[in-house]
Amino acid sequence: MVTEERKKELEEKIAKSKGIVREAFSKFKHEELAITWTGGKDSTLTLWIIREVCKEDAIAIPKVMTIDEGDAFPEIHQILEEYEKKWDLDLEWCSNKDVIDAAGGELGADVEVAKLNDTNQREIRERLDYPGDKFPFEAESWVGNHLMKTVVFNDFVTRNNIKGMFMAIRWDEQKARVKDEYFVLRPGDEYTTEHTRIQPILHFTERDIWDTTLTFDIPYCSLYKYGYRSLGAATTSLKMSDIPAWEQDLENTVERAGRRQDKEEAMERLRKLGYM
Amino acid sequence: MENTILITIDTLRKDMLGAYGSKEGLTPFIDSLGKNGLVFESPYATGPYTQASFQGILSSEYYLEYGKEKKLNKDKTLIAEPLKDQGIYTAGFHSNAYLSYYFGYNKGWEIFYDSMADDVTDMHPFIRGGEINSKVKEFLSNFSFSKPLFLWVHYMDVHEPYIAEEYILSKIDPSIKLSKDQMFAMFKDVVLPRDIKDSNKVDTLKKLYMAKVAETDNYIKELFTIFESHNLLDSSTTIITSDHGDEFAEHGGLSHDGKMYAELVNVPLLIYNKFFGQTTIDNPISLIDIPPTICSMFGVEQAASFKGKSLYPFEDIKPYTLYGEAVGKIGHKGKDTDKPVHFIINDGIKAIYKKDGSLWESYDVNNDPKDISDISSKLTEDTKDKLTSFIKRNK
Repeated sequence: MVTEERKKELEEKIAKSKGIVREAFSKFKHEELAITWTGGKDSTLTLWIIREVCKEDAIAIPKVMTIDEGDAFPEIHQILEEYEKKWDLDLEWCSNKDVIDAAGGELGADVEVAKLNDTNQREIRERLDYPGDKFPFEAESWVGNHLMKTVVFNDFVTRNNIKGMFMAIRWDEQKARVKDEYFVLRPGDEYTTEHTRIQPILHFTERDIWDTTLTFDIPYCSLYKYGYRSLGAATTSLKMSDIPAWEQDLENTVERAGRRQDKEEAMERLRKLGYM
Repeated sequence: MENTILITIDTLRKDMLGAYGSKEGLTPFIDSLGKNGLVFESPYATGPYTQASFQGILSSEYYLEYGKEKKLNKDKTLIAEPLKDQGIYTAGFHSNAYLSYYFGYNKGWEIFYDSMADDVTDMHPFIRGGEINSKVKEFLSNFSFSKPLFLWVHYMDVHEPYIAEEYILSKIDPSIKLSKDQMFAMFKDVVLPRDIKDSNKVDTLKKLYMAKVAETDNYIKELFTIFESHNLLDSSTTIITSDHGDEFAEHGGLSHDGKMYAELVNVPLLIYNKFFGQTTIDNPISLIDIPPTICSMFGVEQAASFKGKSLYPFEDIKPYTLYGEAVGKIGHKGKDTDKPVHFIINDGIKAIYKKDGSLWESYDVNNDPKDISDISSKLTEDTKDKLTSFIKRNK
C-alpha cells in the first residue's frame, strides 16, 4: 500500500516512539506507569507501540485506563473489549458513575449539582466556578466534559499513584500542541497529584497514523471505515464524509469538524442574531 | 442517479429578486436560474420567522402543532429521515442556531454541520457564505456518489445585523458612507428596538440589507461552480427558497416578528434543473409541501406525519388553502403573554387572525399583494363563513 521508501520512513517514526517508551520505562517504576486508551486511532497506535516494546524487552504492559463518558459508540466499546482480551491488558474502565446515576443514565438530562457527591460538587463549585443549580449530562458540554473526563482522569492518577501517563497527542492535531514535548511534567495541586505526561507519537501526522495503521496491520475502530475522522462522544462526533478516513483529503481539511451541542452556545448565538 | 439540492436563504424577501420583478439588479445569478426552471409566483412560508417556517420546509408541519415547544417535537419527522431510511445520502450545512443539534434538527442527517462548535463574531454571528461553500466543497470532494444525494445548504448572510461590504454597498447607494461599527450600531439602536421613527435610517437599513442580498447571490454563484466541478448539475434538481422575509416599516416594524404580512411570509421559490424550460406557476402554494415534494422526486415513501402534499411533477397544480402560524411576538424579546397568530389563504382572500378574536384582518391577495388595505368590512358573510369553516377544518 505504501512505497518501500515510505515504509522505511514510518519504521523510523515508530523507532523514535519506541525510544521515548523505553526512556519512560527507565525513568519510572513499572507500577507507576499507565496508558490512556480511547479506542481511537491515535491511542490504539500508541498502545500497540508500547506493546511491541514490551514484547521485545520481555516486560508486562503497564496498566491501561479508558474513560467511559456515558456516551460511547458501541463500535468503540467493541474494539476496547476485543483487544483487552487479545492483548491480555490490565484495563480499568473508569467513569464518573455518580454523574451518570444522577442523570438516570439519560443523555441530555439535567443533573442537579446538590445531588452529586462531595468530590464532584467541589469540582463544580470551586474549580469550575459554575454557579448554576444544574447542568446537562452531555460529555461535550463545559461542565459535563470536566466531570466526565478530567475528574475521572485525575481520580485514576491519584488513586493508583501514577507518576507517568502515556498519552496519544500529536503535534499536528491542534495549533496549541505545537510546543508540546515528549515528557511534560504536570505539577500537583489540590485536585491531582504530580505526574508526567509521556507523549510518544507527537511526531506522527494524521496521514502517518493511517499509513502506519494500515501498513503494520494495527487494529482500528470500524467507524473510521465509514467516514468518521475523529471519534469522541457518540452524540456529538460528526461525520463529514462517507468514504474511509484514510482515503479522505487529510492534508487540506479539518480533523475535528465540530462536536458541540451545548445549550449555552445555541443561546449565545441567538442573542447575537438579535433574538432574546 | 438523480440528486436533489435544497438551498435556503434566511431572511430573503421575494421582492429582492429580478426573477420577481425587482429592478435593483441584486441577484443576477439566481435570476439566471429562473430561465431553466419553475418560478412560483405566490409561495408562502408557514410562518414569519425561522422557528415557525422551517417546521414547514424541513418537517412539513405547522409550528404550534403540539403547542409552543422549545425543541422540534419528537413526533415530527425531518425530511432527512425517510430519505436516509430509503437509501438516500443526506447532508446538511447551515449556521442558524434555531436549526442546530440542540433544537433537534439533526435527525436523519448522515452529515450535519450546524456550526455551533465554530467561532463567530458579533458582526457576523453565523458562518458566512464563502465558508459554508468551503464546507460543501470539502464534503463533495470526499463523497463517493455511490448513493443519490440530498444536499441542504443554508445561507445566513442576509440576516441582521446587516454588516454590508463596502464594494457592494457603493454600487447600490454610493451616498451611504458607514463604517462597519456604525452599521453595527444601527443594528443595536434601530433594529433591535424596532424603532422606525427615522425613515432615513430605515431606508439606510434596507440598503444595507440589499447589499447582503447581492453578496449572497455571489455565494450561490460560487456554490454552483462547485456543483459544476462535480458534474452535479447534470443529475440534480435544485430548490431555492427562503424561510421568511424582513420588514422595513411596511407594517410599523422591523426585522421579522410574529406578523403575517406579505413582506414576511410571501417568499421566493424557484426549482432549477438544467434540462427544464422556463415555467411560471401562479397559484399560491405553501412551503409545507417541500418535504413531500422531495420524497416524490426521489421516489421515496412519504413520512406519515407530513401535513403537506407533493407538488411533483409540477403540472396541473390545483388551488388549495394555505395556512401559517406563529407566536405573535413583537420585538426581539418575546413575552409569556404573546398569543399565537395565524393566517389562512383561500380563494384569493388572506385572513390574519388570532383565535381569541382579538385580531382579524383580511386582504385581497391578487390585487393587494403587499397587504396594504384591510378589506374585512367589505367581506360578505358568506366569505367570512367559508373562511371560518376552513379555519375550523385545520384544527
